[in-house]
Amino acid sequence: MVASFRYGVSLYSYTDDFGTVMTLDDAFEHVADTGSTGVEILGETTVPLYPEPPAAWMDHWFAQLDRYKLEPTNFACWVDTRIQIGRNMSVEEGAAQIEQDLRLAHKLGFRFIRPKFGVIDHELTPDPIWEGAVERNLDLAAQLDLVILPEIHSPTPIRHPVTEAYVNFIERTGTKNFGLMIDTGIFQDRPIHKWGGGETEEIKKGALSFLNGIKVPVEHLEDVIQYVPFIQAKFHDIDENLHDHQIPWERIVPMLKKLGYSGYLSSEYEGARDPWVAIEQVRRQHALIRMLEDEYDAANAETAHA
Amino acid sequence: MLERSHIQSTGFRNFGPENARAGFEVRIRQANYRSSRLSLIEGVDITVDGILYPAENNLFRLGEHEYTHAELDDATETRLYVGDYFTVVVPKPGGLARGVHLVGSAIRYRHPYFPPEFQPVIVRNERHATIIMP
Repeated sequence: MVASFRYGVSLYSYTDDFGTVMTLDDAFEHVADTGSTGVEILGETTVPLYPEPPAAWMDHWFAQLDRYKLEPTNFACWVDTRIQIGRNMSVEEGAAQIEQDLRLAHKLGFRFIRPKFGVIDHELTPDPIWEGAVERNLDLAAQLDLVILPEIHSPTPIRHPVTEAYVNFIERTGTKNFGLMIDTGIFQDRPIHKWGGGETEEIKKGALSFLNGIKVPVEHLEDVIQYVPFIQAKFHDIDENLHDHQIPWERIVPMLKKLGYSGYLSSEYEGARDPWVAIEQVRRQHALIRMLEDEYDAANAETAHA
Repeated sequence: MLERSHIQSTGFRNFGPENARAGFEVRIRQANYRSSRLSLIEGVDITVDGILYPAENNLFRLGEHEYTHAELDDATETRLYVGDYFTVVVPKPGGLARGVHLVGSAIRYRHPYFPPEFQPVIVRNERHATIIMP
């Protein structure tokens, strides 16, 4: 029996809709109707009065999870290392930030947190405080049954010193509470026409490699898959023929199946930010990936019975 | 809920005594996908009908509290939430004339997870908005 994916949606997909034309209740409805079992949130965005949500909101959160049969998956958070113009966070401040997010994520029922560290160069090398800040929280993460996942995000590929440093950390500490989150944007192999990540003229001119795609071969997943319990299924544009114009799902899905991946694929739409477009785009992605998974399973079953 | 544009129709107004306006205000929604510590906002430039009102001279109001440009950098634990708005208070003796103006905003966000060469990221918006009371 081949392992099956779990399907989820990150509320990041609904950026700009959330707060203008969409409430959290609306978002739950859209996520659940894709057939997903998991919901990923952005702590600061989704949780009112973060980091101390009102008790009534917490009650409503759990009632909605129950109503829509959704489980909380990943809690996205940030370690704002360049916290002031002239001052960077200390290791202690970074550790306190991660502790705060672990505790809030646990209260809300999450299994993973993704701290996004400030970086020091264009290859997205994280501020060196990451290691001490994470290590001080490994016992707490174990106690709360949470896994801390930095993301491997374009323009950082899998075979790169940033990824290697994370893997070395896992091997040195022997921890089960730190892993890698793969963002499927690293497999992008055609240019993005409409980037929904906060496009400006400066970024369009200065970040061409990122916007054109860094084209990581899907085979490189094999190097790290043992450390990957969660995947953010980044995408930008899927047309009415279920053709994705940037992300090669027809290669990603079979590779993940071959490697036995059974974690979440959590949709992260990052395309045109016109009102309500994200709702339909996420649905197309789920249809596309489920179709490819079914095709793989059918072909595999025929082989098994041949 | 708020309008989709960053600049909001509501909240565009003169302030100060009638016949002796001290300036005008522009209401702008959180334009980032996540809530921001105020220390990550390095100011907001405003333009009206082609005239620039630079961030350094403007006040930034969140709720009841007004921050000078320099004070924003110290507000590390105050957040501008998604779904909320702030107001840029622009000194301009006499205020703006009644009628429709072309208003622009340029928010300087520092995203620590963006490469240093993109700091700050300038997030721009422009639209028509109306002053009712001169």
